[in-house]
Amino acid sequence: MTEDITFLEAIRAALADALADDERVFLLGEDIGHFGGAFGATKGLFDEFGDERVIDTPISEEGFVGAALGAAWMGERPVVELQFADFVSCAFDPIVTVAAKTHWRSGIAMPVVLRLPFGGGVRGGPFHASSPEGWFAGTAGLKVVCPATVEDAYGLLRAAIEDPDPVLYFEHKRLYRTLRGPRPDTAARTPLGRARVARPGDDATIVSYGGTVGVAVEAIDRLGADVEVLDLRTLWPLDENAVLDSLGRTSRLLVLQEASRSTGVAGLVLSLVARRGFELLDAPPALVAPPDAPVPFAPELEDAYLPTVDLTARTLEELLAY
Amino acid sequence: MRTELQLYRLMLLQRLVEERVMALYRQGRIAGSVYTGRGQEAVAAGAGLALGADDVVCPLNRELACHFARGVTVAQVLANFLGRASGPTGGRDGNMHFGVPGRGVFPLVSMLGDLVPVTVGAALAFKRRREPRVAMTFFGDGAMSTGDVHEGLNLAGVLCVPAVFVIQSNQYAYSTPTERQMVNTNVAERIRGGWSIPCARIDGTDAMLVYETVSEAVERARRGEGPQAVECTTLRGHGHAAHDDARYVPDEARRRFPDPISQLEALLDVGEAGDVRRAVEAEVAAGLAEAEAARPPDPATLTDGVYARPL
Repeated sequence: MTEDITFLEAIRAALADALADDERVFLLGEDIGHFGGAFGATKGLFDEFGDERVIDTPISEEGFVGAALGAAWMGERPVVELQFADFVSCAFDPIVTVAAKTHWRSGIAMPVVLRLPFGGGVRGGPFHASSPEGWFAGTAGLKVVCPATVEDAYGLLRAAIEDPDPVLYFEHKRLYRTLRGPRPDTAARTPLGRARVARPGDDATIVSYGGTVGVAVEAIDRLGADVEVLDLRTLWPLDENAVLDSLGRTSRLLVLQEASRSTGVAGLVLSLVARRGFELLDAPPALVAPPDAPVPFAPELEDAYLPTVDLTARTLEELLAY
Repeated sequence: MRTELQLYRLMLLQRLVEERVMALYRQGRIAGSVYTGRGQEAVAAGAGLALGADDVVCPLNRELACHFARGVTVAQVLANFLGRASGPTGGRDGNMHFGVPGRGVFPLVSMLGDLVPVTVGAALAFKRRREPRVAMTFFGDGAMSTGDVHEGLNLAGVLCVPAVFVIQSNQYAYSTPTERQMVNTNVAERIRGGWSIPCARIDGTDAMLVYETVSEAVERARRGEGPQAVECTTLRGHGHAAHDDARYVPDEARRRFPDPISQLEALLDVGEAGDVRRAVEAEVAAGLAEAEAARPPDPATLTDGVYARPL
């Protein structure tokens, strides 16, 4: 029996195994070499694989994301670490301009993975705690994934690296050292495009992803309710059938996300349900998400900003009582 | 074919295809917009011809001759302008916005400077695999103001990759003259001083000079001497696009820059040059006929290829 590993260690294991299995895989990012990355995700990989596989870059997101795309053009499989997901704004252009549109207009595949440490609860403030996945979910040509378990942290990253399309892999920083689980087998893959029932239930469906999946489960436990949690895992393209299947069984929907309420993935889910799930609904869908404001720093403000178990449980009670 | 004649052929192909394209645009047979590289053909041809068969390149709007140097055909180019299914983008994109992967040509994107980091990344792949190949891109004095160019040049130097940057200093970014883009208009000096990348500044209307200078840069990069650059001074002969009459360009500027094609033609044997011209004219006519006969794209296919592996 092997010891459990953390969410962060699962990411590191996936990177190490991918580097070992495929010569085309290399890592690119700020401080990921001898330093091991701002969060330690690449710790030890520089010593194990050397400076041609684990490459430190200048502070130059637009430059090294663009370079990853050029390497992908030549058939490499670069995995890029953005030090914080917030900094993806600096690399927005190569992602939406080059990564997203190149295969469609030329047939050149862009097998690039961008790792984006995101999310709040770490007192990071407006530039180190954002959830910018909504800028990309909905953009044709990109795939967006977000694990909520140790197993998927490993399996989604391995699958993303093996995928021929550009994949944005959002990893929630709060989960890095708080989640533990068995080390996944090296053959473990989480298929892209498939949501997962994290908790089966009959009376309502909570659709969530990443750091808020655990919040959903806790809220249900607190109420002792019989509610399903659907962990999207792939945010884009959305697993529409999984959402509609679950709603078909439960007839009530709560969308829970950490991105501020008008961005993120909630809009995609609610639009889908309005168009294709209207007849399934016994109650208006509920949304638990932060207000439309940047992520604040002071603990009093950030705690009021982030979706809590309390708020989720209260909203769920109202939904179930409707 | 001698180098001079090859250059002449490539430049003439660009000139005659672009003249044809302008005519088709004015007749309403080409939609959208049209960009030409008139006056800049020597850079496109000279740099394109300097590449080896296994090298790769990201040409921009003014570098049609570079596509031809890579073996892209007139019919492919015109099919793209006409939005035909047979074009390199199958009608998904127009005018000069196309790449031909089988020829090592990456498709242009309109966000200038974007392809500088992409070129650096392709060169990084060659370095990692110890392949004796180089990656080239072009950009202009206008794109020198973008962050991508700075980040790409810096990264190229830090990673010491076999990338070659050919700068078309064509005096105008759309209507904005170079002195409104930068304080020091000597791009080569900035590239040498700012990024420690070797960069000669040469007459971009002299095709043989461009070919020889860029060839040397390509071979230095191939030998492992790191990124290289060449600044070619030219003048954009047309407006930014077909709708722009470029009346902001003073006659004095036009007098300073000779036409690169007539300049090279004057050095050639009249008979040989005539043979090349007739062959190019026939090639353009045949390519146009083929492109015009091609089918338009099928609307049912418009989302094909958004993903290499749809979910």
